[in-house]
Amino acid sequence: MSTTGQPREAVIEIRNLTKIYRDFWGRKKVRAVNALSLDVYKGEVFGLLGPNGSGKTTTLKMLLGLLFPTEGEIKILGQSASDVRKNERIGYLPEESYLYRFLTGEETLDFYGRLFNMSGSERKQRTDDLLKLVKVEHARKRQLKEYSKGMTRRIGLAQALINHPDLILLDEPTSGLDPLGSRDMKDLILDLKKQGKTIVMCSHLLADVQDVCDRIAILYGGELKVLGRVDELLKSQNQTQVLSDQLSPAAQAEVEAVLKKHGAKYQVDHPTANLEELFLRTVQESKERPGRRLIADEPTSKT
Amino acid sequence: MNFDSVPFPLDTSFQLWLTVFGSATLIVLIVSLLATVASLGSRGLGVFANELGAMLGDFVSISPRRVFALAQLTFREAYRRKALMVFVVFAILLMFAGWFLTSSNLQPEFQVKVYVSFVLRALSWLVLPVVLLLACWGIPEDIRLRSMHTVVTKPARRLEIVLGRMLGFSFIGLLVLTAMATVGGFWIRRQLPAEAQAQLICRQPISGELSFRDREGNDKDEQGEALKQGINVGDIWLFHSFIEGATKARAVWTFDDVGPDVLDAEGNLLLENRFQAFRSHKGDMKRSIYFQYIFFNPETGVRAPYDLKTVEENRGRTDRIPRKFASVSGTGGITDRKTYDLIEDLVTKNGQLTVEVACVDPGQYLGMARPDLFIRTTDLPFESGYIKAVVCIALMLLVVTFIGVSVSTFVKGPVATFLTFVIVIVSYSARDFMGTIIGDPDALAKAKQYSGMQEMKKLDGGGVLESIYRILTHMNPTTELPAGPATAVMKTIDTGMVNFLWLVYRILPNFDYFTKSQLYVANGFDVPFNPSVLGCLMITLAYFIPCVILGYFALRVRELEAK
Repeated sequence: MSTTGQPREAVIEIRNLTKIYRDFWGRKKVRAVNALSLDVYKGEVFGLLGPNGSGKTTTLKMLLGLLFPTEGEIKILGQSASDVRKNERIGYLPEESYLYRFLTGEETLDFYGRLFNMSGSERKQRTDDLLKLVKVEHARKRQLKEYSKGMTRRIGLAQALINHPDLILLDEPTSGLDPLGSRDMKDLILDLKKQGKTIVMCSHLLADVQDVCDRIAILYGGELKVLGRVDELLKSQNQTQVLSDQLSPAAQAEVEAVLKKHGAKYQVDHPTANLEELFLRTVQESKERPGRRLIADEPTSKT
Repeated sequence: MNFDSVPFPLDTSFQLWLTVFGSATLIVLIVSLLATVASLGSRGLGVFANELGAMLGDFVSISPRRVFALAQLTFREAYRRKALMVFVVFAILLMFAGWFLTSSNLQPEFQVKVYVSFVLRALSWLVLPVVLLLACWGIPEDIRLRSMHTVVTKPARRLEIVLGRMLGFSFIGLLVLTAMATVGGFWIRRQLPAEAQAQLICRQPISGELSFRDREGNDKDEQGEALKQGINVGDIWLFHSFIEGATKARAVWTFDDVGPDVLDAEGNLLLENRFQAFRSHKGDMKRSIYFQYIFFNPETGVRAPYDLKTVEENRGRTDRIPRKFASVSGTGGITDRKTYDLIEDLVTKNGQLTVEVACVDPGQYLGMARPDLFIRTTDLPFESGYIKAVVCIALMLLVVTFIGVSVSTFVKGPVATFLTFVIVIVSYSARDFMGTIIGDPDALAKAKQYSGMQEMKKLDGGGVLESIYRILTHMNPTTELPAGPATAVMKTIDTGMVNFLWLVYRILPNFDYFTKSQLYVANGFDVPFNPSVLGCLMITLAYFIPCVILGYFALRVRELEAK
């Protein structure tokens, strides 16, 4: 149910999904996914998490029809995973950039546009827009083999968005991107969410997932271990946090006295920003004030 | 080389194609159904029906735009990976080939043969391997590098991927072939020695049907069958048979559709022959053996002998018979001299011309086969036949592309290359041998023609196991095997192997049609539309449909992510 009490529309329905990899002789080699059942709802950003070998990429590839389930059922946008018509409304960014390296950026987007039967003028317009969006417009005439990893990732994202997809599947979307690129990617994901798109992403980078995902599923050994809203899962019910600006030492002593009086265990400290925030702030300030060192190292020893 | 152009058997070929293709499709469908039911139980029936419906649906929802996008991608890939460099190799070959091909000792027609054969073979053997490699590596590399993931997760049907790949590789091959053929054509014109330039033509023969009369003048054998053979003079190649000189023995050609239009600009009928001479004694050493054309109209009974001619051994000769000619007939001093109009007096009402050939020298023999005498109509420019030969090479290139792409959908690049290469080589060199093993009538007839045996039948000695047994026990192939269960098992396994060989023989493309077109041009003939161009076209179409279906099926049932 949604927050408004309306039943939510499931874009992806996975029921009892199992994938067993077999060897040449048909013997079971590994059970990559085991009896997985979950739904992804329209308009949410859903994260699939898990350590290496947990089955998240296998699940994603079964959703796309690249692998066939051993058991179970998948409905994606109301159609079977093996039905190619579903791809009309899907955008997919693979884990690595598996694009054709001999094509230029412009040709890449034109090629994928043709696969969606888009007209010439529509392809051209969409190519221009997307190259601008992912900030590789300056390299539109260069072959992808000359692109950096981050640029290839960006053009990969552009091809995933060529068809204005309703559902976007992103496999490790921020891998290979510098913090700025990573921030851009996350902003873009949030922007797509605002446009009503549904996004499913797999990632190892938990901070990224935490930043953008509404709900997550954590897989381990091919099985679903955790499923729920990120904010609810991370909320610690038996702890209380008090944040304040410009608290004087006297006021701080009073607060501590009150806490002692009630027998509470407490810790008083200055909050720390995360590294991403520090990095982004540094870059921003460096742009504004070039040549200035922002934070000096502490001397390690005195002679 | 046998230039006997037997028309392409369109109806029987189509029936055979339907039989082989239909049987193979049925086998695949049954095996797939059984496998689905075995793995999914009763639910398998529904799944199978759905999959079959989806596959048929893919055929009707092909998008030309997607197919062309994939074809263009294929072309760009090959172009940017420098596949067109093969053209440079060809150019280098042509630059230096002139040093080795020029020989003023050769007769002009042989010089033409050397130059034209060189260019056409260079075209085939340079373009074919390139296209074979590209076709066999395209899809497997796409799967290995996972570029295919970004395509199949778009609305591109796997059928469109197969079609796009085939189209793209075909286009590359055809582009390179066209460029090389154009340069090759100019090169022949420019490099060929001046004395041979006049031989650079395409003769258009009208072939007739050949029958024989024996030395007594009988046109039927003891069983009342029309005589289709003359005398065997012990020559190992039975393709030619002989008539004895100064007897009533005749080789009789019947040409259809003869009218004024077959005459040349001066009103002559051009008869070209390549008769062989066989001498039972030295005879007159100063001249060759005499022969004579005798024109005969079966409707009026008019028989008009023409002047004596000598046999041009190993070269052939062209005789110009004027439309009106004087003929002298009669023996023993009583002669009758009359003038005949070739078309009015000697061609029947339904346009049939009968030409009898007699050997005049006693004790000498004249050898011939059906294509050794033909009416030569207006010659075409060399380029006419050259272009048709290049078209046949292009069609062969398409067949190799279709097979390569199709095979590459279910095995990896190196295996696909090896498999396609083996298919091409076996089709080229071992198909006829396989035909004689399984007792195919066409293959046996061909083997008979070349072996010189009176009769060619399925080889003695049984199959593989039986042959091994006979070798180990030193048993003669004609000796009956001892009866018993071991023999029965051995023969059953051998029969199974022969049946498998039958299927392989039927599946392998008949490259004879493709290679023969090159020989026509090299020997100064036009390439006949039927059988050459038509045969090549039909074989190409016959391979296109199953290759597309096989490729599509293999790619659809395959997990692209699986290693």
